[in-house]
Amino acid sequence: MTLPGGVHAETYQQDRALIRTRWQWLWFAGFVAVLLLLPFIGIGKAVGIATVIGITLIAVLGLQLTSGCAGQINMGQSAFMGVGAYAAGALAANLHWSFLLTIPIGGISAAVFGAVFGLAALRIKGFYLALTTIAAQFIFTFAMLKLPKEWFGQSEGLRLDPAALGSFAFNTDNRIYYLVLAVAALMTYGAWGLMRSRTGRAFIAVRDNDNAAEVIGINVFYYKTLAFFIGAFYAGIAGALWAYYVRYVQADQFTLWLSVWYLGMLIVGGMGSILGAIIGAVVIRLLQELITVAGPQVADVLPALGGQFVFAAMNMLLGGLIIVFVIFEPRGLVHRWNIVKESYRIWPFPH
Amino acid sequence: MLSLLSYVANGALTGLLYALIAMSFVIIYRSARVFNFAQGEIVIVGAFLVWTFMSAFDLPVWVSVPLALLSSLLLGVLIERLILRPLVGEELFAFVMVTIGLLIFIRGVVLVAWGPEVRFFPAVLPMAAVKVGPLVFDRALVIGAAVTLVVAAAASWFFNRTQLGLEMTAVAEDHQIALSLGISVKRSIAVAWGISGLLSTLAAIIFLNGKGMTFLASDIGFAALPVALLAGLESIGGVVLGGLIVGIAVGLAAYFLDPIFHGGVAAVFPFVIMVVILLIRPTGLFGWKTIERI
Repeated sequence: MTLPGGVHAETYQQDRALIRTRWQWLWFAGFVAVLLLLPFIGIGKAVGIATVIGITLIAVLGLQLTSGCAGQINMGQSAFMGVGAYAAGALAANLHWSFLLTIPIGGISAAVFGAVFGLAALRIKGFYLALTTIAAQFIFTFAMLKLPKEWFGQSEGLRLDPAALGSFAFNTDNRIYYLVLAVAALMTYGAWGLMRSRTGRAFIAVRDNDNAAEVIGINVFYYKTLAFFIGAFYAGIAGALWAYYVRYVQADQFTLWLSVWYLGMLIVGGMGSILGAIIGAVVIRLLQELITVAGPQVADVLPALGGQFVFAAMNMLLGGLIIVFVIFEPRGLVHRWNIVKESYRIWPFPH
Repeated sequence: MLSLLSYVANGALTGLLYALIAMSFVIIYRSARVFNFAQGEIVIVGAFLVWTFMSAFDLPVWVSVPLALLSSLLLGVLIERLILRPLVGEELFAFVMVTIGLLIFIRGVVLVAWGPEVRFFPAVLPMAAVKVGPLVFDRALVIGAAVTLVVAAAASWFFNRTQLGLEMTAVAEDHQIALSLGISVKRSIAVAWGISGLLSTLAAIIFLNGKGMTFLASDIGFAALPVALLAGLESIGGVVLGGLIVGIAVGLAAYFLDPIFHGGVAAVFPFVIMVVILLIRPTGLFGWKTIERI
């Protein structure tokens, strides 16, 4: 990747910096300002949509680390999310712990659950691994519906009070939006940093060829388990936030279907890139919202399509997008974006 | 004691039905090195095709069932032509993702074409129960078990004894090598998807005979996964044994564990078996062992 003309790193600090030029700072500041001011400038459901995107983004980032960066296909991300939601929900609903404790504990519980299924990754690869994570999904649902009612409420689920700091409760859309925004920003920063570290490079080596990685001295077993641990930790955090957002946790919210959607977001955004996860989560979620809004109007014009048109159209759209992207642009939207950025920087030269 | 025996026997029959669906997985995997996550959806498309021809168009059984079988065969070939052909020679991950995309896409199409209502699946096979001594069986399942055995024998012969079957096996080993040996990878994948589409519809007829169905019945595709894994993804004959073992194990689990957990064990136990198989012997009972090179 080339830098803008005339930008050279003269110290190690400059070389490591994420943001290098004045214009990048300006754009970044503008972006942060828009995110912070969204509740005041946003119209309609903008804040609600942004909150859901933030939670989705955290789960998709975790999936990106496990599947995109470390190459371990994971179809149980929503089960891991569910574990986080249930752990945080049970602690908050039964023991009334503060969200400052329950959200990290939710993350850790999901991480441990994920790592147990990731242990299988030592012996099995590729889609065999995808199958264990599918099994995780079914076992999760069964366990949550069968464990004692005092813990997880069985089929009734758990009801939570809003997250609260002293007398300040995150009980409105705007307040929960800021909570989600803060956590999502922290998690994004963490993922970005992780991929620039030794661990991130080890993940990429394991993904590209795990036998070769073993030969050059990377502990493949450790890094595969770690990939699941971290990916599931992200899912757990997302689940815990979800629990505080809808204030109701139930096993039906975390289906295999949701995991498949998350994988679809990765494919469309771009595998193996943090920016790709962000683009995928935002683009697919916005498309979903668009269909939810436009769908009923289309159904009014063409009544033959029936009332299920909205749900069906979403599936056809996402399924179609995944197929088209795998065939025509396997590196996702982020690759397109990089091409545009590159040609802007070196304009008017073609190379 | 009697009810235990009945649990075991019915478990075995259900296991053989799962084996029929698992065989669709295995045939595609064995001849194309593609693992088809959309299998359950293809079963449902087959079921809706039978329903459309029989209940909506009012055609007699002997017209509508062959028509449905033929259309599902064409569907398989169409999927190969449009989606899998551009990916020949690509890495495994692309195939996994494209079948997941297919899974979502077909569900959308099914919802648009047939809607979410509960439909009554026509009784293609006789409904009367079969009585063997004191045991009572669903007649469709008994016929299904026989069909599974016949199909397994035929497919096993096809893949081990005929020229085309052996060529398809070479494709499963490696697309590039198969191509350089002059084997048509495209044809191999098309044949595999055609056969698999046909078997899916057959399984749908047996599974749903005379019952109510919605698009959610496609979960059977996932339920058949443990059977395919236990057998090893390359073994066709092994699927029958795998189906019997998983079916009987699930029957026993339902008998002994259901009172403890208040039901629902039968739905989750196959997946517990699956995790155990994957941890102990990932290649299954009869799968190919591969040596990896850098």
